[in-house]
Amino acid sequence: MRSRRPQRSPRAAGAPVVAPDPRLSRFSPLSRILFFDDFDNGYNGWSGHIGNYEGSLDTMLPAFADLRPPMLSTIPMWDTGSVGALDGTYALKLATRPAAGSLAVAIKRLTWRYAGPIQIEYIFTFKPEASALELLETQVRTFGFAFDLQVGDRAAPPLERVMPHLRYLNALEGRRRETWQFKRVVEPLHDIGGSGKTRSHVHLAPTGWEDVPDGRQQLCYNEIATKHNWYYVKIGFDLGSMAFTAFRCNDREFDPAGIAPMRFPAMPNLSCMLNPFVWVEADAGTRAFLYLDSVVLSADVDA
Amino acid sequence: MIRRSHTAVVERNVRWAEAFATEPYEAAWASEAVVFVRTLEPGTLRAKAAARVQISPDGVRWVDEGTTVPLRAEPGVTFGRVRHFGGWLRLVGDLGPGEVLTVIVYLVLKE
Repeated sequence: MRSRRPQRSPRAAGAPVVAPDPRLSRFSPLSRILFFDDFDNGYNGWSGHIGNYEGSLDTMLPAFADLRPPMLSTIPMWDTGSVGALDGTYALKLATRPAAGSLAVAIKRLTWRYAGPIQIEYIFTFKPEASALELLETQVRTFGFAFDLQVGDRAAPPLERVMPHLRYLNALEGRRRETWQFKRVVEPLHDIGGSGKTRSHVHLAPTGWEDVPDGRQQLCYNEIATKHNWYYVKIGFDLGSMAFTAFRCNDREFDPAGIAPMRFPAMPNLSCMLNPFVWVEADAGTRAFLYLDSVVLSADVDA
Repeated sequence: MIRRSHTAVVERNVRWAEAFATEPYEAAWASEAVVFVRTLEPGTLRAKAAARVQISPDGVRWVDEGTTVPLRAEPGVTFGRVRHFGGWLRLVGDLGPGEVLTVIVYLVLKE
């Protein structure tokens, strides 16, 4: 009988799993790729996000009522035309409204098979709308990468829902911050409607964020608002211990022991949930954009 | 290969009054779009009220495309068809004094 315990990949450290494919060899996946989304091929199940409701859309928490949806973009600029994706034509784009605090969120919903290590990697870039002939470097407040997870219904108690959140605080109220942050504080849970079946909490609220240790990092914002450089981020998480195992952005590797997820009691109907999601938030009256060229979710499992 | 398509909700449970515009939406991959406006609850509206489809080269500067979408005060759905629209789409309009409409707006896009 095969062990159900997760097992590490036997490959040598640094040995590429997928070297022959240049689109994948830029990633460092674990032994099993669960999905590889290149947005030249469509939305790949990354959809708009919405707060929970019951009976009426008006029952939604206001912060969740107008999360802006993703689109496929050639990243067209008024002065130089389409930037395009890192390869191919289209990137998945999130765009806020032109208002401070406006959020756009894209989420992909699946479930997990083994309570072991998973890892997600993104090739991304961000920028505000080039609506003025200025650098606009403080117009994007945050962008972030997170999971929404829950243990299986047969897990050892206490059953938990776990939400690892990482964000890049680019600017706040017009001042550059350029700092990675995480959030373990759980926002208040609200009952939605009257049936007792649905609850909601504003996990992306601006409160409760803590700096990642040594988390200040300057990115390649570039010198005008219409120039874009692609970045790489990697986040490792263990579904067994429900703890971060890795966090890297470009040349910086951060200590996963210094960051922690939100943890709170499991909720009905979310067993084995595995939802990666991303967001971008405006800091002022200019739309904030986040672009994903591609995403790889991988796992180390004996499947 | 079957044609790719996508339904985008560009407004949801939004209350229109006076001048309105949906957020810019990129869909250069699509060769056709149907813009649906669903009135969610009874509103107040003059007869023959309509919204206008606009297109843009850059998502910042907009021009009327020529297609209009009728608006209805009672719950229900109206639509307009658009082809050859380039890369960007939005819907704009002007409601008169006292006019109000609560809607959900879809772009149904297809290669």
